[in-house]
Amino acid sequence: MPDEYVALVAAMKALTKGEAPDTVTLPVAEDEWNPRPTTDSYGEISLDFEADALHGDNVKVAEAYEGSFDLYSKKRDGDGWIPMIRRTLTEHCDGAWRLNYHGYERETRLFHWEWVFQIEG
Amino acid sequence: MAGRSKTTGIGELEMKLQEMEASTAHDIAAAALYEGAGVVADAVSRAVRGIATEPFRYAAGGRKRLASPEEKAVLESAGKGVAKFRDDGATVETSVGMQNSGYGTIAGRRKPVPLIANAINHGTSFMTKQPFIRQVNSQSNGPALSKIENKLREELDKLSLD
Repeated sequence: MPDEYVALVAAMKALTKGEAPDTVTLPVAEDEWNPRPTTDSYGEISLDFEADALHGDNVKVAEAYEGSFDLYSKKRDGDGWIPMIRRTLTEHCDGAWRLNYHGYERETRLFHWEWVFQIEG
Repeated sequence: MAGRSKTTGIGELEMKLQEMEASTAHDIAAAALYEGAGVVADAVSRAVRGIATEPFRYAAGGRKRLASPEEKAVLESAGKGVAKFRDDGATVETSVGMQNSGYGTIAGRRKPVPLIANAINHGTSFMTKQPFIRQVNSQSNGPALSKIENKLREELDKLSLD
């Protein structure tokens, strides 16, 4: 596992634990559909992390790790998390990251951002 | 009888195409692209078959659910063909995936196939992501390019033999 990868995971975990809960709690409504969020029932933020090893496109690189970070927030601006995540990715991935997806979940009324990064092995 | 010329790298093939009449070059490029797109379409089908499922349950208490067998079945039965080729005079483009695959029925409700694919691929706050499209990209990039290169070479060789 590349050192940069380990450092990125540690930095993201520290970021998550320092400022917000790891997960949000989704209570089930009476009709068993996810209810609309309220300040009591929802955390403000959730950060997920996953990564896969893959063969790099660059022929000089035998292996690369590609993964993603997800942010779910009730607030359209991500409640200040977006610059922090961008900064952490830039610091550890040498600019090899991008915003891959941004959407809105109607069921939960949460905004969703997904950043994809790549670290060479 | 025309002499047979040997082509080696993809850069050389591109140069040969640029020297040709536009309509001929377009036909050759489209034929090659179709071959490459087929490889990607097969990879999409394989990746969809690999999606993990669990019987449907409502996500609660911070846990996330996997895709349901019903959702996977919708993706499996959806069309994953090669889209109509777009030609702007300089480039030929196409796309492979489920952008125009219509609707599927989940729990008695019609939902657009791309929406279901998106939810599984990117995940949601209540569904674990399974980035199968990323898998398609990393696995089919090389094979698709070599298929395109081989087809280009084959077509150009055919022309030089005529």
